[in-house]
Amino acid sequence: MDLAFFIEALVKILVVLGFVLLGVPLIVWMERKVLGHMQDRIGPQRVGPFGLLQTIADGIKLFFKEDLVPAQADKVVFAIAPAISVVTALAAASVIPFGDQFRIFGRDVPLHITDVNIAILFLLGATSMGVYGVVLGGWASNSKYPLLGGLRASAQMISYELAMGVALVPIILMTGSLSLAQIGRAQGHMWFIVPQFVAFTIYVICAVAETNRAPFDLAEAETELVAGFHTEFSSMRFALYYLSEYANMMVVSAVAITCFLGAWHGPVLPGPVWFLIKLSLFLFFYVWLRATFPRLRYDQLMAFGWKVLLPVALVNLAVTAVVLVLKG
Amino acid sequence: MLEPLLFAMFSGVAIGCALGVVFHKNSVHCALLLVGVLLSLAGIFILLHAQFVAALQVIVYAGAIMVLFLFVVMLLNVKGEVPLLTPGAAKGFGFFFALLILVELLWTVLSPGGQEGAPSEAVGLPRDFGSPAALGRLLYTTWLYPFEITSILLLVAVVGAVVLAKRKFF
Repeated sequence: MDLAFFIEALVKILVVLGFVLLGVPLIVWMERKVLGHMQDRIGPQRVGPFGLLQTIADGIKLFFKEDLVPAQADKVVFAIAPAISVVTALAAASVIPFGDQFRIFGRDVPLHITDVNIAILFLLGATSMGVYGVVLGGWASNSKYPLLGGLRASAQMISYELAMGVALVPIILMTGSLSLAQIGRAQGHMWFIVPQFVAFTIYVICAVAETNRAPFDLAEAETELVAGFHTEFSSMRFALYYLSEYANMMVVSAVAITCFLGAWHGPVLPGPVWFLIKLSLFLFFYVWLRATFPRLRYDQLMAFGWKVLLPVALVNLAVTAVVLVLKG
Repeated sequence: MLEPLLFAMFSGVAIGCALGVVFHKNSVHCALLLVGVLLSLAGIFILLHAQFVAALQVIVYAGAIMVLFLFVVMLLNVKGEVPLLTPGAAKGFGFFFALLILVELLWTVLSPGGQEGAPSEAVGLPRDFGSPAALGRLLYTTWLYPFEITSILLLVAVVGAVVLAKRKFF
């Protein structure tokens, strides 16, 4: 482990971390602006040019708010629950490749923090650990609605995680690798969305449900559950939950791009730029969904996940395996 | 240099958390500490070059099974412990099983082959050691029968769960 390796790793960690943490306020701003225009409003416009600094102002406000802890809450778990959410979201970002490797100062620098040979499993592991942040936040508040919201959210995340994992398996079969960098490299000629359109559709639906976003935001259905698992959270703890939600959005979008939409491949422009363009478009799509669809009912959501998405994903997996074997 | 340090860290956390699981009063905290044990075990698996097993450990045990554990504990909201055995009997059983595990561990370590210890870089492992492909090949060749029997066992458990959950079939 020489010095150059150490510096390289440090720089990449700082770049990815900075990108995610600075990206979150931008996405929140984009969401409010796009939602505003889609609903025939203007959206935030007072703070900074085009209201760009609105989220920063909101963040500062949250920072100075009183940090309330319910009297009957489990203090320790209440403190670590939001942290678990953020840590798992940021850890998942570490295996995502945002460009092909290039040469600088005589070393090959791959554009991802680490390329473990089980990157996809690492991602699924990180998201499955993310469930704890939600379910513990709901439980530690020691209050009715947060507990119900937390249980709902975790049941939903576990159910959709399954279909999401199965939807990614055909990609693994086609590339013969669990490494995201390899999967990205394999799409130089054809994006995997072409042969695997079914898997892509399933993945996108699951990704929206996995991040608890509209129309699958039943965890915080305000008409039934006040605000779900984060009802009792205020100040920075609340901000941490929001941070993790948007960071998770970025991660699942990045995975969708890497596995289905050709990763960093694209004409003329360099890889990272293409990656950024695709990421922005995908996040826009997320917001668009929220503005378009009403929220599902909870039983509809569970039935859809288990009785439609999972069987379709399994059939798709079987068909892909058979076709691959026949082709040799 | 780094490896013993990491091993000490992971095993230390694992032992600390395991003690917490045994001695903590709050059952949710116990479940969380058990998650800590499972995660540090995953770390040790990585030190043993078994990345795939480590990932499965995190996804299956820490991610899925323990969440269900937490569900049950939270929904039942057990106040205090309901003793199943008298304290004396519990101590007796505990001592017996602890002794059993100790004997088993000593047996494994002292038997020929147990001395080799953890594979390190110097031993010269095959390049794909611990990779999903290598593990899959082993499972479908050398260990095919145990593997299939385990999957039948899991299928039985699934059918059993469905039968128990759905009492009325007709």
